[in-house]
Amino acid sequence: MQQQQRVIVVGGGLAGLAATVRIAEAGIPVDLFSMVPVKRSHSVCAQGGINACNEVARQQGYSEYQHFDETIYGGDYLADQGPVLEMANFAPKVIDLLDRMGVPFNRTNEGQRDLRLFGGSLFKRTHFSGATTGQQLLYALDEQTRRYEASGLVRKYEFWEFLWPIIEGEVDGLDGDGRCVGMVAQDMRTMQIRSFRGASVIMATGGCGLVFGKSTNSIICTGGAASRCYQAGAWYGNGEMIQVHPTAIPGADKCRLMSESARGEGGRVWVPRKKGDDRKPSDIPENERYYFLEEKYPAYGNLVPRDIATREIFDICVNEGMGVKGENQVYLDLTHKDPDYLTRKLGGIMEIYEKFAGDDPRHTPMRIFPAVHYSMGGIWTQYTPGTYTPGTQHGEHKPGMAAPVDAQPGQGMALGAPNNMMTNIPGLYAFGEVNFAYHGATRLGANALLSCIFDGLYCGVSVANYVTQGDPAERPIDSIDQGLYDAAVESEQAKMSRFIDTVDGAEVSDDTNPYLIGKEMGEEMEAACTVVKTEPRLKQCLDKLAELRERFSRARLPDSAAWTNQSLSYSRAVGDMLIMAEMIAKCSLLREESRGSHYRLDFPDRNDERFLKTTVASFNAQSQGAAQHDVSYRDVQTKLVKPRARTYGKVEKQEPAKTETPAKEAASV
Amino acid sequence: MASGPDTKPTLTPAQIQRHFLLRRLHSLTGLVPIGVFLVVHLVTNSSLAWGRFALRGKGEGLTVAEGGVKYFQHEVTFINESVPHLLLIEITLWVSIAFHSILGVVYATSGKSNLQRYPHQDNWRYTLQRISGYVGILFIFYHVATLRWGWTFLIPEGTKWSHSFSASTLAAAMQGSTEGFTIFGVAVSVLYMVGVTALVFHFANGLWTAAITWGITISAKAQKRWGIACAGLGAGLMLAGWSSLIATMTLDYDEAHLIERQMFIEKYGEAEYEAYVEQKGIETADPQPEQSTGSGGGE
Amino acid sequence: MIASQETASKGQHIRIRIKRSDGPGKPSYWQAFDVPREPGANIISCLQWIAAHPVTVDGEKTTPVVWDSGCLEEVCGACTMLINGGVRQSCSALISDIAPNDGDEITLEPMSKFPVIRDLWVDRQRLFDSLKRVQAWVPIDGSYSLGAGPKESPDKQGTRYTLSTCMSCGCCLEACPQYNLEEDESQWPTSFIGAAAISQARLFNEHETGKQLKRERLDALMGPGGVSDCGNAQNCVKVCPKEIPLTESISAMGRATTIHAITSWFRR
Ligand SMILES: Cc1cc2nc3c(=O)[nH]c(=O)nc-3n(C[C@H](O)[C@H](O)[C@H](O)COP(=O)(O)OP(=O)(O)OC[C@H]3O[C@@H](n4cnc5c(N)ncnc54)[C@H](O)[C@@H]3O)c2cc1C
Ligand code: HEM
Ligand code: SF4
Ligand code: SF4
Ligand code: FES
Repeated sequence: MQQQQRVIVVGGGLAGLAATVRIAEAGIPVDLFSMVPVKRSHSVCAQGGINACNEVARQQGYSEYQHFDETIYGGDYLADQGPVLEMANFAPKVIDLLDRMGVPFNRTNEGQRDLRLFGGSLFKRTHFSGATTGQQLLYALDEQTRRYEASGLVRKYEFWEFLWPIIEGEVDGLDGDGRCVGMVAQDMRTMQIRSFRGASVIMATGGCGLVFGKSTNSIICTGGAASRCYQAGAWYGNGEMIQVHPTAIPGADKCRLMSESARGEGGRVWVPRKKGDDRKPSDIPENERYYFLEEKYPAYGNLVPRDIATREIFDICVNEGMGVKGENQVYLDLTHKDPDYLTRKLGGIMEIYEKFAGDDPRHTPMRIFPAVHYSMGGIWTQYTPGTYTPGTQHGEHKPGMAAPVDAQPGQGMALGAPNNMMTNIPGLYAFGEVNFAYHGATRLGANALLSCIFDGLYCGVSVANYVTQGDPAERPIDSIDQGLYDAAVESEQAKMSRFIDTVDGAEVSDDTNPYLIGKEMGEEMEAACTVVKTEPRLKQCLDKLAELRERFSRARLPDSAAWTNQSLSYSRAVGDMLIMAEMIAKCSLLREESRGSHYRLDFPDRNDERFLKTTVASFNAQSQGAAQHDVSYRDVQTKLVKPRARTYGKVEKQEPAKTETPAKEAASV
Repeated sequence: MASGPDTKPTLTPAQIQRHFLLRRLHSLTGLVPIGVFLVVHLVTNSSLAWGRFALRGKGEGLTVAEGGVKYFQHEVTFINESVPHLLLIEITLWVSIAFHSILGVVYATSGKSNLQRYPHQDNWRYTLQRISGYVGILFIFYHVATLRWGWTFLIPEGTKWSHSFSASTLAAAMQGSTEGFTIFGVAVSVLYMVGVTALVFHFANGLWTAAITWGITISAKAQKRWGIACAGLGAGLMLAGWSSLIATMTLDYDEAHLIERQMFIEKYGEAEYEAYVEQKGIETADPQPEQSTGSGGGE
Repeated sequence: MIASQETASKGQHIRIRIKRSDGPGKPSYWQAFDVPREPGANIISCLQWIAAHPVTVDGEKTTPVVWDSGCLEEVCGACTMLINGGVRQSCSALISDIAPNDGDEITLEPMSKFPVIRDLWVDRQRLFDSLKRVQAWVPIDGSYSLGAGPKESPDKQGTRYTLSTCMSCGCCLEACPQYNLEEDESQWPTSFIGAAAISQARLFNEHETGKQLKRERLDALMGPGGVSDCGNAQNCVKVCPKEIPLTESISAMGRATTIHAITSWFRR
């Protein structure tokens, strides 16, 4: 065997770790980079669960195919269908693997894996481990990674920050001759900047919640790494598709999520029918409570997809002024459930609520409001279609119908094709939340963890093939001139010096304070670019961002330390976030329709003719301001399922129902 | 910093086993023989306080103190003259105490108490376990040196302890003289009280931790229940220890000597007695028919 | 309560005293900051405020305080520090709980059992290394599909789940009198391993496939720095934010090592 070339994985969340394990297993050494110890990656926050077709659901008429259909429908047809089919088909394998790794999935009395109901489905198809599923999955992969680390195949670089991809040749959309051959990173403690050679670089850097200020994301989810790849020439897909989760507890530093599993386990959302009703929730009788989701969506009830629930809650509070105690909050009520049951199934989030809001949700309804949660948009990636090519598109798939295709691998996306989830830059891949591929215009609950691990495992094979049989096999990375790497390091060092040099004892005014610039950006983006968007507001937002970018160009660092300078790292990310924010705002402005999470008050309907298309943004460093973002559209692959109206069986607004709608449990099978 | 290639511990299986063995032996020696001896010792000593009632008919007409002396002396004689392999038992005990103490100090110095920050009950006991160990060493050393090895220079105005005149010589050692308390006597008595208290605590708490060390009490509930049992045992031993101390501290030398004298003479005869006290330098007390309680015997 | 806090807090401040240090081997010093009270504030939001306004109570301009954090919902373990002397996560330390009144003071210090990197940020690599020491993983055959894992009763799952929520925060090590600061990496493999890793060894010994490495794990726990070095102060279990029954794990591993020692003696 020839000398092994190394693969670089940036990000140690579920996606990065799954990829690491897969690639190391193929005998290829991996350098794993993360800003935090991988065990503390943001994936640890995921609460509710992970979706996969399973035997119980199957015998009630569910199938991998229906999981696929739900995901496409949930995402309002904006996702390329092949990869989604492959992911749904692969899902049961992911669960089995995690099970073998020792994930303590909740069990039935017989010892089988237990299941719960989740948004966007009428079948129980969500596997879970208490209410800290992401933590348990991440730990399982972390442990396997540690195993490879102990054997020497994986080298971890924790507290290292990715700064820039190193590209040999020219990037020009899909046509350039450039390829990614490594990257520059910085040790966040010693501040050392150095380059790393890699036959391939996998970006698995997660979401960009911090662009919106307070979100449900971790403090490191700046999207900085994705923005840097974008600035280096990688395309960005569907940036405007930002998921706002309906149920979170607002806080001073972040909004803490109350998982969809709370509703999956029977939680009901309501407000008092009488505006400004001051009574304690337990004193308000059933018939004076407005279970607005259940009334409007009798079939799915509280488990409509997130974008819909979010808009309804937003509407009730902001437009109707019916929020609890006149504030922006509604009740999420679990008090009708047995407290022990809640502890067993939802202990993790019960504790979070108790800790951060002070009330015991087993006895007092929680008070929640929507918060930015997830980015469907991400770095644009390609794939090789699989073997399944139905002559005509399928219509709605109903439970019990025979699936038109079985779950063999390779039907949606060709197994092992080197370009699966590769960006437009050869050798540079995007896995996990930073990849735009699977969730279209809205992600269904418990599908993100799946897509992360699927990327790592399924497309990890693609990376291995690219490295051993693709370009790097012919033109080994070791033969590249060191000058290319040195130049990249120098460029990053120069950027750093520019920041450090701003520390000259002069007053840091609010105007040039990077922390305040970041804060203002978050507030602006949240106000203009989340639940409800309009043209004038988006334009105003772009103006504000231009102002902030200008101010940022004069930003002054509060710390010149050459050791563990956190404000450098943060400030640098603010610059990158501003660019990302501007791109998101611009894409939002240009998509003149409403689809999934993207809701334009001025264009309330879906417009398939103009916009059943992927938004592709590419960065043009030569231009200035918002003109730097070239936005174009690419056709979405919809050859498998025919787009249909996405209503989730909404009944148009009637007089508040006189008889009470039964709790949605009835629909849970 | 890359956390480089794995840092596998470079220990050999033998090193691992030795470490474990030492740890377990430390725990074991604390229980048997030291712990067992401690129990026996304290129970025996406490007969000074309750011996009168164990004498049944034979104690007729004696005070509680006198009866205690009689019973205690009887026990001591039994141990010294009738227990087989006494030397072997003693050697085992010495080796164990030395082993347990030396390792105990090593282990105790490997930790750093942090009571100020975490003043939990368990943490208090952790700290006290170590302090009581140190106190224990000092006390045991003094106790044995003075009473066993006869280092009379450590006993103020010292009378040597004799197992044939056990209660009286003990009382003299603790009170500082044969004629009641001296200032040194007070110090010695305090040392005994502290030492016995420390060791009883150390043993009772050690019994509790040993059950965790060996994996006998796993659940928190079991640990709690066993803790109550250990506390009970500790309280019992404490009672035994303190009662013997109090009995000794309030014992009158002469009175005790006379009873022991009588027992000695009954066994070996007058002549032996004279020779024995002469040789050992034991202060005698003459059997005055009546009232001569206060003043000591013949100088 | 979100609302009531808001009205109660107008114009109020809290004073935060922070033990800082510019880097390894540099002397430590204290600085105090007055931070306005915000509704729902926690230590993290106060540190964020200080980062944006790095001026001490004496009006002295200084640098933002360096600290470690991640999830902000007490599930990643990053933000552990000493708050008013006790070890805990700073993200779940709500100002309204620990400093309810105007002008109340809070002290922040870095953990003392790990080398300080800067200010409140410490290097906990030793903790992660300890997971390698006990081979805290299930030795599966590989990541390809080989069917489901072993079946498991809900009780067993419950036990394992609880153990498995350990977020490597280090509270149990910070509070342990037997766990000492050790800057020399070469000493880590023989220094006291601490409750977290002992409990992880138990977790994996309880798994059907994980069991295969049971002997290796017990060997590691028998050696210097292993489970027998625990002094039963039981501080660990009291400070563990995940309420992991650490002392039960310690005792369970005590039993397992005892049996293992005896059986391997006979096996020789
Ligand atoms: C509160 C919450 C609950 C959720 N619950 C669910 C759920 O129940 N089910 C579900 O399916 N999904 C859920 N999600 C979504 C899901 O958790 C995330 O989409 C997913 O974890 C993302 O994983 P990832 O591997 O892509 O990235 P992350 O886990 O975010 O990891 C990113 C990694 O990249 C590293 N990184 C980032 N930038 C850099 C840089 N510049 N240099 C070096 N390294 C860098 C980080 O250190 C980190 O290791 C939830 C999300 C949130 C916020
Ligand atoms: C009468 C004498 C003593 C008795 C009966 C005794 C008994 C015990 C017992 C039963 C234990 C518990 C072991 C375990 O937890 O498994 C113990 C522990 C201990 N003993 Fe002693 N001991 C005595 C004297 C000493 C002395 C003199 C020292 C010296 C300092 C000492 C130091 C210790 C220490 C430090 C421990 C705790 C060890 C650990 O938890 O790691 N002991 N002892
Ligand atoms: S019980 Fe053991 S591990 Fe826990 S704090 Fe005490 S000495 Fe440390
Ligand atoms: S056992 Fe508890 S205290 Fe210790 S590291 Fe794990 S979560 Fe933290
Ligand atoms: S930031 Fe994750 S535990 Fe506090």
